[in-house]
Amino acid sequence: MAGIHLSREWVKRSLTTITPITATIVLIIALRALNPFFLTTHESVVTLVYGMSWFLIAACGLTSVILMGSFDFSIPSVLKLSAMLCGVFYPQLGFLVIPLAVAVSLFFGFINGILLAKFNIPSFMATLATTWVAEGSAQIISGGYTRIVEDRAFWAISITFIPAKFGLPSIFYWAIALWTVGIFITLFTPFGRAVYGIGGNLTGARLAGINITRVRILVFMLSAFYAGIAGILYAAQIQAAHMQIGVLDTIPLFASVVVGGTALTGGVGGIYRTLLGVIIIRWLDTGMSMIAIDPNVKMIVFGAVAIIMAIVTIDRRRIRIMK
Amino acid sequence: MRDKARKRSVALPVLSSTLRMLMRNPVSWLIIGLIALFTAKYPESFLSVTNLESILKVFVVTSMLSVGPTLVVLMGSIDLSYIGIWMFGGALVWLLFPYLGMASIFIYPVFGLAVGFSNGIVHVKTKIPSFILTLAVTAILAFSTTVIAYVIYGVLTLAVPEYRFLTGSLIPHLPNTLLLALPVLALSLFFMNFMKLGTYLCAIGSNEEGAELAGINVKKYKVLGFAVSGFLTGLGSIALYSYLGARAPVTLDLNDLVRGLAAIVLGGTPLVGGVGGPHRTLFGALAYTLIYIGLFLTGINPNHFKLYIGLTLLGAVWIVSRGLKGVLIS
Amino acid sequence: MSSSDSPTLEVRNVSKTFDGVVRALDGVSMMVRENEIVSVVGENGAGKSTLMKILVGIHPPDVGEFYYEGVSVPFPRNPREALKRGVSIVYQEKGVIPHLKVYQFLFLGLEEKFTRLGRLQLERILGVAKEVLDELGVKCDITSYMYELPLSMQKMVEIVRAILAIRLEHGGAGADGVTPIIILDEPTAPLSLEERDELFSHLLELKKTSSFIFVSHIIPEVMEFSERIYVLRDGKLVAYHDLLREKVTEEELFREIVGRESHSYLWSKYVYGKPEELKERSIILSVKNLSKKGYYQDISFHLHKEECIGLFGPAGSGKSEIAKTIYGIIAPDSGTIVTNTKKAGSKDEPHHRLRMGVGYFSGETGKELFLYWPIRKNISLVNMEKVAKKPIKIVSIINFKAERSLAEKVMKKLRIRAPSVETECYSLSGGNKQKVSVGKWLERSPDILMLEDPTIGIDVGSREDIYEVLLEMKKSGISMILVSDDPKEYAILCDRIIFIKDGKLQKVYINEEFRKVMQL
Repeated sequence: MAGIHLSREWVKRSLTTITPITATIVLIIALRALNPFFLTTHESVVTLVYGMSWFLIAACGLTSVILMGSFDFSIPSVLKLSAMLCGVFYPQLGFLVIPLAVAVSLFFGFINGILLAKFNIPSFMATLATTWVAEGSAQIISGGYTRIVEDRAFWAISITFIPAKFGLPSIFYWAIALWTVGIFITLFTPFGRAVYGIGGNLTGARLAGINITRVRILVFMLSAFYAGIAGILYAAQIQAAHMQIGVLDTIPLFASVVVGGTALTGGVGGIYRTLLGVIIIRWLDTGMSMIAIDPNVKMIVFGAVAIIMAIVTIDRRRIRIMK
Repeated sequence: MRDKARKRSVALPVLSSTLRMLMRNPVSWLIIGLIALFTAKYPESFLSVTNLESILKVFVVTSMLSVGPTLVVLMGSIDLSYIGIWMFGGALVWLLFPYLGMASIFIYPVFGLAVGFSNGIVHVKTKIPSFILTLAVTAILAFSTTVIAYVIYGVLTLAVPEYRFLTGSLIPHLPNTLLLALPVLALSLFFMNFMKLGTYLCAIGSNEEGAELAGINVKKYKVLGFAVSGFLTGLGSIALYSYLGARAPVTLDLNDLVRGLAAIVLGGTPLVGGVGGPHRTLFGALAYTLIYIGLFLTGINPNHFKLYIGLTLLGAVWIVSRGLKGVLIS
Repeated sequence: MSSSDSPTLEVRNVSKTFDGVVRALDGVSMMVRENEIVSVVGENGAGKSTLMKILVGIHPPDVGEFYYEGVSVPFPRNPREALKRGVSIVYQEKGVIPHLKVYQFLFLGLEEKFTRLGRLQLERILGVAKEVLDELGVKCDITSYMYELPLSMQKMVEIVRAILAIRLEHGGAGADGVTPIIILDEPTAPLSLEERDELFSHLLELKKTSSFIFVSHIIPEVMEFSERIYVLRDGKLVAYHDLLREKVTEEELFREIVGRESHSYLWSKYVYGKPEELKERSIILSVKNLSKKGYYQDISFHLHKEECIGLFGPAGSGKSEIAKTIYGIIAPDSGTIVTNTKKAGSKDEPHHRLRMGVGYFSGETGKELFLYWPIRKNISLVNMEKVAKKPIKIVSIINFKAERSLAEKVMKKLRIRAPSVETECYSLSGGNKQKVSVGKWLERSPDILMLEDPTIGIDVGSREDIYEVLLEMKKSGISMILVSDDPKEYAILCDRIIFIKDGKLQKVYINEEFRKVMQL
């Protein structure tokens, strides 16, 4: 079928690729206009990187769940809990808080997976319930207060500059590494194929002998793992853990996934796309801060972006019945 | 004469099947259990007049935020827009009061209807999953309210003092907020049981293809379901307006979001649809109220509150899921 | 009252072509009189459902005449108009709404007749529901939920609903003035033997006030319960029998349905295993006393190496449920499935069976294939061990080059016509899609491959190609179990054919005997 490929499929595919790229270019131009120092000074780049890195890690986790056709509300809350565990228990446990936070995160991911795979609870409801448990746990151990971590050694995980003078903070490298690992897992391993398969055609995946229960549980654990790591790195970066992050951050996170081009229906897109989505959402955030837009208005913008991009990327052919 | 005999012979089986349903539903036992527990452990505080009034008030808040969305859950979707309608509707009342006077409170049901209707249309036309759509809508509306209050007008609340008379109790010990809530509850039950809307939504949730084959205009009823849900929430917000003392909240409190869903799930309307309805949500709201009040009675650390609610939600979701084997979910 | 001369419903010369290409119906005429059961039989794709959809107003015909009680009227343009003509349909599946109560379901879609001032008159609804059910002899509790009723009762309620819909459209719920014609689309498919008997005894009762068009391809039932039979094949009316006036045998009917086409060259190409020979070969799969209430009972058989067994039977015989059980899609109530290496667990999922060496090829490419994936990904999905390596202990990585060459190998072997291995499957023709599906199993080479409707809906040329491949696979050591609706398929592929009826094993034939019995 050579010749002009003006099929709807092609148009849509191109749209989901061109849109993020165009948006990025537009943003660069706009932000430069607002602030000539944008992206030109080392300082501005570093600030940007600090805002994007932890966010990227969390978004990668969310992407893998969405690829599978499910949803995970609990990411920001697990992130918060993980950070809070570091903040609260660092004095007693030192660096052992890291395995603790990871273990707790994996536990939440496991619960999410079990609720879906074994108990047939729709993923957004299951993760909403675990979100609340995570939120509650964070509330309890923090007592509602922000916890400051006083040890430079801990901060060093995130803020060590590599190379020392004009390099980027270590959290950036962590983020890129995890992003790369995520791409690797989803695109280059049989497990990743299974994830795309379940998202693309659940019945077909089952018939092809994919162990759906196992994959689902593992993906939710992966997502929670990413959330946990993001929490640890975030705590190290801002040298504190606070209760301000939470459920509402799901909206910009989700927006960054769909803006990147991963469809809510699953089976399409990928973690590689999420990088662009994160850039767009965070730069949009930065831009809005520059013109002193109120944080509440920002959330409105993210909500609108999320809806619009979700609609654009949805694969309407494949859905006969949408709830 | 024949008609009356017919009515009697018919009312009985309907009543008995309702009783059957109640006995089978775990929420009834939960309510009975909780009442028994609290009466036994804290007889003075639990059965005190102030506490019973509190129970009524909390019940009203919980039920007003959940009976409307139940209709949407019944057809297999989710409607999280109740918070947004409540908050932004309050902002609209405040904004329009100078122009519409006392009539401005009636913007609530109109606004609720409009939001619900647009939710329905967007969902049906674009096939965007309802939970993400209504979550985003609620967030947008909630944050818009905050913006209107803090940013645009620089005020801390959007209270309309002229409506203060709504608070209080006309009948001693029965808060006005309950009186205002009763029509909403009645309407929701009416829609469910006395109009074909309830049956059709149930049919769509149970077997959407079958409903289509049976000649039901599924798209139309989906939109209608969202619209009615928004309308009921809007109307119910008037009762909530009275509860908070002539205003609606200006900042988003996610506890309220969870509260609505918790009542629906506790009541026994599973999220896959086809089963349940506002009548069940009433019980769910009561159960949630008892848990909520009970937690305070036991004097728990307020920091622990979220966790317990989370565990309750988890438990409720798990129990309701027991009956859902063999359904392929994502 | 209609005159007793002219039939209640008659259609003449109905033709319908879809998309200008597929000729679904070609000059078909039929009629239905008062109080009778008429059958329309034919294979899948013969045109039965198209004809029925035209009668109930879902499609308009290209050509044709419609007579109601002798008077020429236009074809119904939607189901509502069909109701006015006295025609209603009960679908094969997905017609029941499980969570509605009986009285809610009975009046679903008809509520306006019982609404006053926006309020549903529940008392009236309940009253009428009771009256009608009593009148038609259907005993059930109107306040129970549909899912609480046994399957045959659910079907009966569906039928009563269809009758009610017609009556209400004509004025009242009582049985005056109109003879409803109810189309029953494969009504007995999901029912057990006892439930079927119940259904038929009810139908005979209902015949007193209605007529039925029985759409089916279960020959024994059709012959037992209908008075006249229309046989459709490839869109044409090839035979008509009035059972009150002539005698027809099941075999004659069968041949009319199946038709006598020229046999494929594969017909005599292969030699099939003889019993003595088969006994020598090792047993690769052993099924013992497999039972599942309502579907099949006490199924036992052995599958030998390099053998293909066919599970043959009419729709609803349980054959596809047995196949699904062997692959772990359905769980049995009791019984064992043993391969020469492992015993199957009762809570197994398909991935367990895959590890046991069982594969499953379904001809329904919508389910089986990932249509938006390229060919190479579809083929590698069940062949991961061939294209992925484990450089480190836990991590296995896909080798894209190996994946591509694997897919190329398959495409060449099966003559799959596509631009490249990157082509996405939705753009392939039906036959090529099927080939991709078969191809992935060809590569996988499981010990046992289940085949369910392997050549459904594809052209003759591709069908032959697939048969060749399957027969080659059999020779190379893969044993197979076939479930299909096409007897010729069994004759080409299977060494032994097991007849299954009403969930029980009836008889085992070897290929030669089968061909004789089926007169192929």
